[in-house]
Amino acid sequence: MPSSTQNPQKIYSLRENESPASPEPFYQNYKEGVPIALDLGSSSFKIGLTNSTSPNNVFPTLISRFRDRKANKSLTIIGNDIYRDSSIKSSTKSPFDGPLITNWDYVEDILDYSFEHLSVTSSNGKVNNPIIMTEPPCVPFSQRKNYYELFFETYQVPKITFGIDSLFSHYANTDNYNPKTANSLVIGTGHESTHIIPVVDGRGLLSQAKRIDWGGSQSSQYCSKLLSMKYPYFPSKLNSNHATNIVQDHCYVSNDFQEELKNYLDMENLEKNDVVLQATNELNSGAASSNAANAESKKKSEEELKRQAEKRREQGKRLQLQAQQKRLEKLIQKEQEWEYYSNLKLEFESMNKQQIQARCVQEEFESVEDFNKYVANLDKSLKKARNEDVGDGEEGGDGHSGQWTLVDIPDDQLNEEQIKEKRKQRLMKANFDARERAKQAKAEEEELLRKFEEEQAEWRARDLEDWCAVKKSELADIITKITEKAKLLESFKDRKSMAAQQRMRNIATLANDENGSTSATSRKRRRNANSTIDNDPNDTFGTNDDDWNAYRDITNASLEEQLEEDNQAVLKIEAELLLYDPTFHHEDTFNASQKFDWENSTLHKFIHGPRENILVKLQTESSQKNDGKLLEPEELENHPEVVQRNHQMHFNIERIRIPEILFQPNIAGLDQAGIVEISENLLYHRLDGNFQPGGQSYNLIQDVFLAGGLVKWPNFESRIINEFTSFLPVGAPLKVRRAKDPIVDAWKGMQKWSQTEECENSYVTQAEYDEMGPEYIKEHGLGNVCLK
Amino acid sequence: MSTTPSNSGFSTSEEIHLLSNITTRPHTFKRPYKTTTRRYKPTKQVISDEVKYLQSKENIKFDTPTYTSVGAPPSLKPRKHYCDITGLPGKYKNPANGLRFYNVEIYQEVIRNMPPGVDQEYLGLRGANVILK
Repeated sequence: MPSSTQNPQKIYSLRENESPASPEPFYQNYKEGVPIALDLGSSSFKIGLTNSTSPNNVFPTLISRFRDRKANKSLTIIGNDIYRDSSIKSSTKSPFDGPLITNWDYVEDILDYSFEHLSVTSSNGKVNNPIIMTEPPCVPFSQRKNYYELFFETYQVPKITFGIDSLFSHYANTDNYNPKTANSLVIGTGHESTHIIPVVDGRGLLSQAKRIDWGGSQSSQYCSKLLSMKYPYFPSKLNSNHATNIVQDHCYVSNDFQEELKNYLDMENLEKNDVVLQATNELNSGAASSNAANAESKKKSEEELKRQAEKRREQGKRLQLQAQQKRLEKLIQKEQEWEYYSNLKLEFESMNKQQIQARCVQEEFESVEDFNKYVANLDKSLKKARNEDVGDGEEGGDGHSGQWTLVDIPDDQLNEEQIKEKRKQRLMKANFDARERAKQAKAEEEELLRKFEEEQAEWRARDLEDWCAVKKSELADIITKITEKAKLLESFKDRKSMAAQQRMRNIATLANDENGSTSATSRKRRRNANSTIDNDPNDTFGTNDDDWNAYRDITNASLEEQLEEDNQAVLKIEAELLLYDPTFHHEDTFNASQKFDWENSTLHKFIHGPRENILVKLQTESSQKNDGKLLEPEELENHPEVVQRNHQMHFNIERIRIPEILFQPNIAGLDQAGIVEISENLLYHRLDGNFQPGGQSYNLIQDVFLAGGLVKWPNFESRIINEFTSFLPVGAPLKVRRAKDPIVDAWKGMQKWSQTEECENSYVTQAEYDEMGPEYIKEHGLGNVCLK
Repeated sequence: MSTTPSNSGFSTSEEIHLLSNITTRPHTFKRPYKTTTRRYKPTKQVISDEVKYLQSKENIKFDTPTYTSVGAPPSLKPRKHYCDITGLPGKYKNPANGLRFYNVEIYQEVIRNMPPGVDQEYLGLRGANVILK
């Protein structure tokens, strides 16, 4: 098989968030009056003075507040510092609840922390720097009100202005940005939501902007849900950092989702599509010493196990002996009975009907039929019993008929001792006779079998083709039976299936009979009240073999037994066919056709990737090495490779399924249009839809700009190009570009913008705030609009 | 700054205290006391307050963008169906619970043997689950 020779797959470990090597830096170049640019994202917080070209501090917007009991002090740890100690990680919180800030105390703490890192010092108890900060498009009024309060009242900053992060990012990435003529379609992916904002003549056209409530945070939550349902019994816990990192590291945008999806699990594609994620376990977390100790204790217990097994075997032997003894006694009794009744039968031959009848009644039988039935049953059970014990007949059978000297002497000629001896001898003689008879029966059977084999051989010699055809049709018959029975067995699992209901009906009628209903059989039974269900003479149950199906309908166990029998029959015929039929090969056997074909199993490839099941592989390897010896379940369970595999997840379809939600939000149950549909609608209907030079839409498609963390997914640009090309007119001058550094570019835009006159004119001063109230902002090309 | 923590990651509680101190010590750029206690409002309530606030304003122009108006509209394109279990194309649907599936193998191996409640979890991934109130 090619798969067993394949190289092992590349394994990625589940990445935890690590603390950066260097601690959060402190800014060395603080000056009063220099604007502070501040991007308060729900995922990461970026802050810096605008006299530097990059933000001084970038850290996750996380805060952990806890109490140190020993020192009796409340501690507040923020940003990357959280990852410095694993005990803090558990109590982290974000000031955001979804897309909006809900806990302003946390925001204040984070601002304190970051201003300290900017080395803000002041002699008048104020932050003497203008603030430029980001806010989401169309932010709720209460959010901005809180910002104003925080900055003007708590920090008493001189002036502040707000703008939209993705527009700042676009600004940073556009050389010679002309605030009068810039045109662009900005697609900004965020942590909590994604925005599509047209920029027309240097202004973000917010009346035509749209927001999809899906972002990085939803993607990683969705990923974590998918994986926990794909591996419900995964031994280690997947935390939200793992999920976020999986989405960041392994997802990519499919260039043609429908096409790629169709063949995603094909073996040749899966080989490169499948990502193996390894969770830490005892084996790779360096607990080797404890492992060795484990192994030793296991060895000891193995010896113990052996001893126990020995004990159990002895006990079993003793029980077997006892049972054999009992069976023998019963057999002898039956033999004697049988002898008596067969003599009686001989007597009957010389009697007329009435005499027979009378004799039968005398022997406590209801009628002649009853007698016959009884004798027939006795015969059957005798044969069965003999067959059972004939195997171990050598031990007791060394006596000869000559030894039993007392058997034929009448009792009155013997003393008490001898009578006892005689009884014993009689028992032994009967035993011996029984064995002899059994041997004879067996020999007869063997003779029959031999004859049958001879016939078969002769048939084969005469016409091999005919023989094969007949055997094959027999085989086919049995296989149909097997599949039917398997189906029946399967259908019992479903409470509502026909078979299960029939079974319930049967049980109900039986229960009803016992309670004495008005059914015909029970009426009959009541007529001869002294006859029980066991010796009812009118009961012909069992004469027809199909009667026994009644029991099969009730218990499924017998069905399984039958299946087993059928399987044996199949094996037997197949063995013969393999031996004599040149056209019949191992691949044609029923077993081979039933064997799990994992390379064609969607489910296997989805869950276990492009490799064979490790358990099966180990078993086959072991049986090849050690002549069919299989590994013990316990051995298998603790096999290092199995443990390793049990801690692996296969991330395949999810790699394109998760990013696809931005294009088809209804995959995740979000009842909104995707980014492409919104853009199409915008370009064709909500703007002028003019793709000739000079048209609004014409200008916009020449600069489709992708901003935000999610555009780091590979192929994002090419997918947008593909999709846009499909709805744009032929030859439209489409240009798509991506932010250079999607995370920090918004801050860089603010820094760049802070030098412009437009920025100077957009500040709201403390005095203006006091006069106009929190609803007031100064509109500019990169910001929100005032409510009016 | 004297409070710079050492590079080696901290194991001592002293270092944690130093880090915490950056935030909690008195700041020169801020009044020494905390301002008013703020009430915590979850996002849902912030949004419903915003809706009320917008309704209370009388002279807003019809095309003024607001938090609620920029929400993307539902898709008008025909919806594509995917297998709830694997994410592959979902051509078939189980009439009993509405789960979509890729092929007969997924149906026989997964959907038919699903423990109660799991089908709703799968449906919940695409917001099609039944929510009992």
